[in-house]
This record gives sequence, C-alpha cells and structure tokens, in this order.
Amino acid sequence: MEKVRVNFRVNGEEVSLEVKPYETLLEVLRDRLDLTGAKEGCGLGACGSCTVLLDGRPVRSCLVLAPEVEGHEVVTVEGLKEGERLHPLQKAFIEKGAVQCGFCTSGMILTAKALLDREPRPDRQRIIRAISSNICRCTGYKKIVEAVEAARDLQEG
Amino acid sequence: MILPQAEYRKARSVEEALALFHHYEGRAAFLAGGTDLIPRMKLRLAKPLALIDLKGIEELRGVREEGDWVRIGPLTPLYDLRAEERIREEYPALFESLEATSCETLQMRGTIGGNLLQESRCLFYNQSEFWRKAKGFCLKMGGERCNATGGTRCLSNYASDNAPALLSLGARLKTVGPQGEREFPLEELYTGRGERPLGLAPGEILVEILLPRGRTKGGYEKLRVRGAIDYPLLGVAFTARNGERRLALGAVGPKPISLPVQDPEEAAERASAEVSPIPNTILSPPYIKRMAKVLSLRVMRRVLEEG
Repeated sequence: MEKVRVNFRVNGEEVSLEVKPYETLLEVLRDRLDLTGAKEGCGLGACGSCTVLLDGRPVRSCLVLAPEVEGHEVVTVEGLKEGERLHPLQKAFIEKGAVQCGFCTSGMILTAKALLDREPRPDRQRIIRAISSNICRCTGYKKIVEAVEAARDLQEG
Repeated sequence: MILPQAEYRKARSVEEALALFHHYEGRAAFLAGGTDLIPRMKLRLAKPLALIDLKGIEELRGVREEGDWVRIGPLTPLYDLRAEERIREEYPALFESLEATSCETLQMRGTIGGNLLQESRCLFYNQSEFWRKAKGFCLKMGGERCNATGGTRCLSNYASDNAPALLSLGARLKTVGPQGEREFPLEELYTGRGERPLGLAPGEILVEILLPRGRTKGGYEKLRVRGAIDYPLLGVAFTARNGERRLALGAVGPKPISLPVQDPEEAAERASAEVSPIPNTILSPPYIKRMAKVLSLRVMRRVLEEG
C-alpha cells in the first residue's frame, strides 16, 4: 500500500515521515522516532499506558492513526524535562515513590500534566477522576495521587 | 496490536466525504474519534478498504440554537459537549450520561455522533479473530447461530450511554447521504436487529442532533463494573419537561427502549418487564432485569424529589 507523508511536531521539533496510512501514532513514536516512553498495554484504548498529549489534550496514541496528526503538536513524556531539569510531576513521582513497575507512569504523568495545565488547583477528588482514565496494576494509586498533589503544590510555590 | 491495511483520506466537506465513499464503492468507513472503530478494526471486526476522516469538516462541530431547536454537531467531542453550560443547565439527563461515558481521556477524543453510531457489543463478539474462529462465528459475524443462546436472533447490546438520555429528551437526527437529506426521530435509527443495529443507509452521514429547546429536569443512572471506565451494562435516563415525563433504557439488546411515565412505580415495573437480557455480558440476566427496576426508580425519585 502506498505510503503517505505526514508532518507534525513532536516535543517541539518538526518531524516529516513517510508512513503507512494505517500505522498508529504509538507505532510511529516508538518504532520510528525511538520515543519509547509511551507503552503499548491493551492496544484497544482501555488502559491508558500509551497516553500522549495531542494539542495539549491526552489521547490514546494506540487509537490515533499517524496521518491524523498531520499539522498537530504531540508531546510525549520525553518532552517534559527542560534541559536536565525534570518536570515537577516527574520529580514528584520519584520522590513520592509513585513508580513501581513504571509501565503506566508516562501515561499517568501526561494525563496529570493535561489536568494541571487546564485546572491548576484540582482537589484530591478531581485528581482521582482525571487519572482514572489510566490503569495502574502496582501501586493502588495512593502514591500517584500524592505525587500529583505534590506537583500541584510545587508549581504554585 | 496491528491494524489491518486501510487507506486514509481526509474529507473537508460532507460532499467530499460522500464522493470518497462512492470512490471506494462503499467499502470505506467514516472516522470520527475512532474510539469504537479502531478497536473493532484491530480485532478484525471491521475491515474497510479506506478510512474517511470527517474531523476536518468544521460545520459538523459545536452547539447552536436555531428556531425551536438546539443543534448539536455530531463531531463535538463528548468532553466539550459536557462543558457546554446549556447542556448542564437545560438537559441534565444528557449532561449526566456524558459524564458517565467511558473515561475523561476517551471523552476528549470520542464524539457524540460516534457514540450514537457505535456498533452493538457482545461478550462473544468483541474478541480477537483467533478467539472467534475457535468458537465458531456467531450471527453478527455471518454465522448461523448465536453463541450466547444458541438461537437465531442476534441480541447484541447497543451500549451508548447517551442514546437513552437523548431518547428521553425527544431528540431528532438529520443525515445526508447518497439519497439526499432526511430528518427523523432518534427512535427510528434502530432496526432492533443485533446483526445490524443502526438503520442508516450505506454512506449516510449524521450531520445534526436536534433537541427541543427549553429547560428540562432529568438524570442518568448507569450499571457497570468499574466506575472509572466501562461500557454500560444497563443505562437508564429520565427526563421531565412541562408535565411530560419519559424514561429510556439502553445497553440491553440491540435497541434502547423508551416509555412515557405516569406513575413512577408502574413505569419501573414496565421497564423491567420490557428488557430481555440474555447471557451475553459479564452480569447475569436476572440481575440486570432487577436492576432495570432499581435504577429506573432511583433516577425518577432523584429527579422528582429534587423538585
């Protein structure tokens, strides 16, 4: 099948690639661009481990076709740090022990980032609601919620 | 999970989408948010030659008032529709069903039109091709008998959260297709046949969802296993408007049901009597039948007692 060219921005950089029209954004990020932060869990949109930001909103990258992101802006977990400085959410996840196996972590952090970007002062219930889009099989969520609260307070400070 | 081969085309207008559909001789699928279609393709339940992306058609997005109707563009993401003040204030049944749909991330991608036009689901159908082959194809896959009951009638479940809410609100749909334009009550979208639950002609595109203007009271109750995500295993919507009261139940069978309400107790009994769950979900049919009464009473009492 004929390939199609797709141009978009990933973590602030312009990318131009030839892709199969039925390649997913997740496949392109991981296999072509070596951005392996987004993980394939269920592959059907249920688990959230492939979450990336598309124009600032979290999406399941396993359900998005590469040609759909033509002209759009994608941010992955690799794009959060500034130079060597980790994003407050990344720091908080480490400090609060919110990472166990790590498979859900990039999705959790990006879902939380999208929340904090649009609602800077979410209470605990609001945080739980937002991250309930993502499944974690290790932590029981407590430390993840605490990490998002810590990042919220940090960015205020 | 790898997608089957398919071309990708982006339409800029409804006319262009229809022309593309014609170009692929009907063997194309319209793509909105993709949260139903893409998983179906991954499981090889849908194998279109091409995907025609509708998201570039701006006129199919947003909410506007016109005459006696509020017109909802079907490409409006569920999350954005939920954020509309008018929806929250005037159509609480719809507001609650939007809130209850899937999870927030999928609400941001999934659209109201796509949610209405989703395919029906079954424990024996939404499985990998390997799994389905091993079991033998069911009615919805072109086989000769139902894998849930052994019968010859497909009762897969149409699991839209928002359809019962829109039914209770008296919604109408406007479509454009190869045969031209038509407008009809939402009830008439459904065939009652699980093999093909939606009565749209090939190539017909939903272009508007219409709600009668004016404030209503209402609510939505949903039965599911996980509060965070999940399709409904039963959804019950109720709307009261100027003395007219309507209850609608969905996710049991291929077609949602709707009934007028005089006495809530009697209506809840009738709702429970009218649903016919079969063993094609993870819950037992008698339990779903009982819950139809429980949730019907719960939503009606909540709304009517709020005053």
